[in-house]
Amino acid sequence: MLYDIRQTTSYSYAVPVRATKQVLRMSPVDRKGHQHVIAHVLDVTPRPSEIERGRDFFGNGIAWMAIDAAHDRLDIATRSRIDVTVTPLPEALGTPGVEAIRAAALASQDLGPASPVHGLFASRSVPLEVDIADWVATSCADDRPVLAAAMEVMTRIHEDFAYQPGATCVTTLPAEAFAARSGVCQDFAHVMIAGLRGLGLPARYVSGYLRTVPPAGEERLAGADATHAWVEVWCGEEAGWIGLDPTNAIPAGEDHVILAIGRDYADVSPVDGVVVSSGSQILAVGVDVVPVERPQADAPAS
Amino acid sequence: MSGAETRSIAFEQAAVESVLGGYETLPGVRDEMMDADGQPRAHWVAFLASLAELGPDDLRRRFSAADRYLRESGVFYRVYDDAGGGERPWSLSHIPLLLEKSDWSELAAGLVERVELLETVLADLYGAGSLVASGALPAAAVAGSPEFLRPLVGVKPRGGRFLRFYAADVGRGPDGRWWVLSDRTQAPSGVGYALENRLAVTRALPDVSRTLRMERLASFFQSFRTSLLKLEATGEGRIGLLTPGSLNETYFEHALLARYLGFLLVEGEDLTVRGDAVNVRTVAGLKRVDVLLRRLDADFGDPLELNAHSRLGVPGLVQAVRQGGVALANALGAGLVEAPALMAFLPRIATEMLGHPLALPHVGTWWCGQDVERAQVMEHLDDLVITSAFGGRIPGLPRRFSAVGADLSPAERRRVAALMAQRGADLVGQDIARVSTMPVWNGDRLVPRPFTLRVFLAATEDGWEVMPGGFCRISESLDARAFSMQRGDRSADVWVLSDGVVNSATLMPSPENVRIRRSSGTLQSRSADNLFWLGRYLERAEATMRVVRALVGRLSEVEPSAGPLVARVLSLLSSWGAMPRDLARANPARYAIAALTRMDLPGALPQLVRNARASASVIRDRFSPDAWRALLDLESCLTTPVPNAASEADAYERADAGLRIIAAFSGLASENMNRLAGWRFLEIGRRIERSIAILRFARTFAEPAAPRGALNVLLQLADSQITYRTRYVMLEARGPVLDLVMLDPDNPRSLMFQIQRIADHLHVLPGRDPDAPPSLSERLVARILSDLIARTAESFELQHFEAMEGDLLKLSDEIGAHYFIQEPEETVYWPVAT
Repeated sequence: MLYDIRQTTSYSYAVPVRATKQVLRMSPVDRKGHQHVIAHVLDVTPRPSEIERGRDFFGNGIAWMAIDAAHDRLDIATRSRIDVTVTPLPEALGTPGVEAIRAAALASQDLGPASPVHGLFASRSVPLEVDIADWVATSCADDRPVLAAAMEVMTRIHEDFAYQPGATCVTTLPAEAFAARSGVCQDFAHVMIAGLRGLGLPARYVSGYLRTVPPAGEERLAGADATHAWVEVWCGEEAGWIGLDPTNAIPAGEDHVILAIGRDYADVSPVDGVVVSSGSQILAVGVDVVPVERPQADAPAS
Repeated sequence: MSGAETRSIAFEQAAVESVLGGYETLPGVRDEMMDADGQPRAHWVAFLASLAELGPDDLRRRFSAADRYLRESGVFYRVYDDAGGGERPWSLSHIPLLLEKSDWSELAAGLVERVELLETVLADLYGAGSLVASGALPAAAVAGSPEFLRPLVGVKPRGGRFLRFYAADVGRGPDGRWWVLSDRTQAPSGVGYALENRLAVTRALPDVSRTLRMERLASFFQSFRTSLLKLEATGEGRIGLLTPGSLNETYFEHALLARYLGFLLVEGEDLTVRGDAVNVRTVAGLKRVDVLLRRLDADFGDPLELNAHSRLGVPGLVQAVRQGGVALANALGAGLVEAPALMAFLPRIATEMLGHPLALPHVGTWWCGQDVERAQVMEHLDDLVITSAFGGRIPGLPRRFSAVGADLSPAERRRVAALMAQRGADLVGQDIARVSTMPVWNGDRLVPRPFTLRVFLAATEDGWEVMPGGFCRISESLDARAFSMQRGDRSADVWVLSDGVVNSATLMPSPENVRIRRSSGTLQSRSADNLFWLGRYLERAEATMRVVRALVGRLSEVEPSAGPLVARVLSLLSSWGAMPRDLARANPARYAIAALTRMDLPGALPQLVRNARASASVIRDRFSPDAWRALLDLESCLTTPVPNAASEADAYERADAGLRIIAAFSGLASENMNRLAGWRFLEIGRRIERSIAILRFARTFAEPAAPRGALNVLLQLADSQITYRTRYVMLEARGPVLDLVMLDPDNPRSLMFQIQRIADHLHVLPGRDPDAPPSLSERLVARILSDLIARTAESFELQHFEAMEGDLLKLSDEIGAHYFIQEPEETVYWPVAT
């Protein structure tokens, strides 16, 4: 599937901001077996006094930027054309058992970004909790194939948790969302990660976009899409990381566009930084994920 | 052996017996002073003999003098969990640990070997990664550490070293060998306390410390400073000590080290990154800081790439490090090798990298992320300490969990077993290390207490140097198992007894090593701000005490009832917020006592001196110990509760004592503070506050309608009575009084004098462009000055006083806006994903 994706992130400030310094994690990159970035543009208004592009530890596209002129509004706009072509899921029952995965992750001799070890431990936004692990454990018998176990956990979150925008915020801890059995995609992802890690299974956080399909007969509403989050579970050397979306109880497929990968939200938050200001800030985010008709020549053979 | 020698040894032995009476070592535990046969070890004999010679009374006196020294020099350890969140004095055990040179050299050599290995490990883990790739170290044993800072992977620290300052906690086992208990590589603390302990003990026992010839500490610091200066690439010689701030438990030490090493004490908000460079905000604009001695935990170092919620860090610091714009000691991420999990692999890594095992053993450690080790730990659970592999919280167990298997409750045992099955990687098992005991003076005799020793090492140009001394932490309990001594109740100095010539470097920097610094521009804006307010609070305190003295002194003779003069004095207190509303129609003395002692009045003295101390405490590196002591004295003098029956005489006495301490502080400031920008801001603050007070006094007591005796009160408040008497034989008259109080340029209490000093200071403040037109501050001062010059004493009217006061308040704001104001930095909101 070919997408044109626009994201606008706008801050307006009650009192003009004298200066700001930020790290932006809004630039999608190629992901083997999932997506290819054909074009990407990042626009910041007002013009930054310094801006530099690079990659973080996990390979995400990031930009460091500073603005030292006073401004009362900051607009960060990205446009990306991305080709998503998903490799088929491995046979869930053919993946290694939970116990084997636990052992393989601990024995890993890889400290690189793709290593399962980064998904093993408590992280800033995902402290480990006994009760979440216990809740997940009923799906994860030691000899059960890990992907089958993880998909059951995903489905249970989808069934047992209420999707409730506004009930939680970016700093809500998994324990809080778990206790309330409600939240948004970020909370579901964090709960699922906390549970799997609690059992010694590697899990990590993916931020990205989800294509939404308007109800039949209705037009797509511009800007109505949102950023999304899901989970990747490590299913052994062979299968690697497999994306699972507990909000929708589906594996990450052609509707999922990956923006950034990390241990949790704190690793991939789109903006981290400080503004020199004493006033309040208002944030507005708009996302459009528009499927593009593939030019005839590129169309896959049917 | 001659007869005389025999006699003297016999005498010495008898004397030693007298202090050793009843000293009983703990069974199965080695004692530093006594050997297994109950005889004092040879290197303790001379010391014990000196103690015996002094006798218990003299010792008590000397030891309490040492305590007083520590208290007065403000050696504090901030205690977070204290109910008051306050500071408590560091408590010193006065008997030092004595170590023989040969014993020490072996320990020192072992630690040098160890820290060199740790450096290699860090360089590999943040660089080539061969230790993990080769299987010498499981990737999970690295990734599990919160101090494995992923943004720093692939970043080579400037100067090539991750570690520049290292500390190890060691203990001596029953076999007489030193064992490493833990490594400190993040931002080791304690070295400043070690310095203070040394000063305190050598003060208490000057004769003893001279005869015993212990190794001095100063050259260690000199080498360390020199090596950091060599790292400095800009040639500006500016090195910062980055502190989390005055709320940190070891802030005292940060201030002490900054002073001692001649580094700028900076907090995150003092620094800003521009391009690749880290700059400090000073009263003269941004100045580059090229090297930072880091006492802030790395994770808090940069809200952009590390902990986004940190308000203590420097936005963009990681990027500056990455681009080589700043050198940090220790590097960000150096805390990684503190993890107990890593200790489990060090023996193998040593063999692989050095070709032989480490000379100095460490406490046996098994990481439970491996099958075989986990099984062994479970098998021997009762005899091992179970603790966090990476120092973090373990779900289902209390914070900072560390316990011997045998002591686990059934619930904890079940939890540990469950964790082992699913998350063994979070745990290590460690041998129970038993440490030795050392003598502690319990008031009249010596008793043995278990201790651990922290040893400090600094990277210098000639390799690692070990500080010949250290910091003992002594436990009050008799449990000599190292794991149970995390906190330590008392500390002790460590004397390495020299067998040769003692390096005679003093604790003061030697002349050839003192860096020539004339730059008055490196005054942090934050420090200037605090100095300015310190000046204002002190002056306000002084003025209030003069008013109090007037109320309970002369005034009560002149006007015994609550007459119009008293009413005017009270109106002053009221306008300063020093008047209680709940004390209607009381005797003037009650008001005076209230202004002196009421904790709840914002303008009363307890609050004023607290504010002064608060301003001073965040810039503690700027004061000499004497000046700091004066501030502490002032606070304790004016915040001690008074009995309800306090009399006028008590109030007068207290105000008098307070004024004397302020005078002492002013003397110390004017005699001991360099005429640099910092002193000028303190001065400007005081002069502005004093000017405002003079104007208020004049407005209240020199208006034409003022009652009889008012001019006398004015002279008294302006501390100008004596001058007046020597100049005029007549009673107070308005013209001459106002001339003396307002216009006389030679009266250090006159308004003219204050304004002239302010003008002088403003003129030479750093950052002032000599070619630029005068600043708003300078113009405000010029306006007051020209008004004073043009005016005669008789022509002053109410509105003149008011206009000048208005200008002074504007001046204060303007100085703040120009030199101090730093708008707060807010964290950017995070977009929520849905």
